[in-house]
Amino acid sequence: MFEFAIFFFFAAVAVIFALVVVLHHNPVVGALALVASFFALAVMYVLLEAPFLAALQVIVYAGAIMVLFLFVIMLLNLQHRREEPTRPVQQFLGYTGSAAFLITLVYYIVKYAAFQALPAGTFNSDVRMIGTELFQAYIFPFEMVSILLLAAIVGALLLSGRSVRTSAQ
Amino acid sequence: MPFDPTDIALSILKIVIVLGALLNVTPIMVWVERRGSALIQDRPGPNRVGPFGLFQSFADALKFILKEDIIPEQAHKWLYTLAPMFGLLPALTTIAVIPWGLAFRLPPKRIFGRMFFEGDYIFNPIVADVNIGILLIFALASLGVYGIVTAGWASSNKYSLFGAIRASAQMISYELALTLAAVSTLLAAGSVKLTDIVWQQTQYFYIFNVIKIPAWNVFSPSMWLSFIIFVVAAFAETNRLPFDFAEAEAELVAGYHTEYSSMKFALFFMAEYMAMAAMSALVATLYLGGWDIPWWDEPQVWWASVLTMLFFTAKVVALLLVFVWVRWTIPRLKYDILMRLGWKVFLPLAFVNILIVAFFVAKHWI
Repeated sequence: MFEFAIFFFFAAVAVIFALVVVLHHNPVVGALALVASFFALAVMYVLLEAPFLAALQVIVYAGAIMVLFLFVIMLLNLQHRREEPTRPVQQFLGYTGSAAFLITLVYYIVKYAAFQALPAGTFNSDVRMIGTELFQAYIFPFEMVSILLLAAIVGALLLSGRSVRTSAQ
Repeated sequence: MPFDPTDIALSILKIVIVLGALLNVTPIMVWVERRGSALIQDRPGPNRVGPFGLFQSFADALKFILKEDIIPEQAHKWLYTLAPMFGLLPALTTIAVIPWGLAFRLPPKRIFGRMFFEGDYIFNPIVADVNIGILLIFALASLGVYGIVTAGWASSNKYSLFGAIRASAQMISYELALTLAAVSTLLAAGSVKLTDIVWQQTQYFYIFNVIKIPAWNVFSPSMWLSFIIFVVAAFAETNRLPFDFAEAEAELVAGYHTEYSSMKFALFFMAEYMAMAAMSALVATLYLGGWDIPWWDEPQVWWASVLTMLFFTAKVVALLLVFVWVRWTIPRLKYDILMRLGWKVFLPLAFVNILIVAFFVAKHWI
């Protein structure tokens, strides 16, 4: 009963702040609303007895990525101007595309996920267990992801370095 | 979970104790800071209000409440008001997972004709003994930057924005070093639970099988590097001198809180000192043995537990005094030196340190 109340409260928080992200015209408010939404999502993980995931959700998304986003938005110093839509074709494609995506998403959630019983047995979310699994069973994908991230960092450095060099000339 | 009034009462008691202690840190520390700075600079300091100027903080608090609360015309009203509250959040929440004493069994007792504590109650002096302990601390501490960033941006003031941008860059950079330095203590304890980390430190190790030394992480040679990195990064994370670029009054007027007045400014003040206290408690837990009293195997009774709580408080107070001492001794660095230090010195050292500690752990030397 108590868990139900917490679930619905934070579900509402997540949805409302997600709407603020999409609808608010100020990008800084949008970024902060996204942080609030991520935080509410972390509470969902706690309710699902996955506190480790909840902590990672906050550390990685709310604590690191969104700070960077906010940083960039502030440095860009965007004006709060409302712009008139200028490209009708793209706008139409955008609306139809997202509507189609939403319908497909709802269809599959209702068909496969909602109203289904959870698998029996306890869900083990011990940090030690996750670590052992990650570094034994899933060592290859784990290392591949590290290489991907390293490539992204080197690429970013290369691109920023080139722009400095060209502007210096 | 069945509803147990005694359990809930105990939890509320713990929350009241922790919050009470944390909220009182600010007025006391402001007094300590002002008298301490006076001591270091060889001048009297505030000595008029009460004995040794002890009631100066009351006067300050009253003044904060009575001042006009100004919101600048150009400011973003909502975020300007919310920012000081964001700032308080991390300090108030991280303290919940730090153990502040030895657990003891509450014996059944008759109070006012009713029996209490019949079903084997254990008083564990920690608000929430969660499995993910230190990860939760880092998760909540990483949100600390939002208070400063929002304040700086919402003020619509160039100096505020500069302070906010500096602070966010600094806190992101030093968070990495801080987290990686703390990993070595997790390796030694083999757990991310802070209670386990403290229990591991209650053991002893011997030098030449003669001298008995408590196994506090700070006494273990493999941990020295990690201890230094952690403490330096802690100064950077709490925006204290020599790393207080978020305010840097010589360059940025007052940095991110330039436009703030009255109680909103006081909240930033409280946030700074509470973050310092939370960080000191974390350093004491990870490196100074937490509540452990050296050379004594504490029996699990209430008076021993109270002694451990006092000992923990003493460690935290000692670390807070170090914060004050460093602030009034070391001048502010240059900003580029700080960033270079963070990325090119402390981060690589923290990685090397993990390898060293892992080697020690694998060899069973810790």
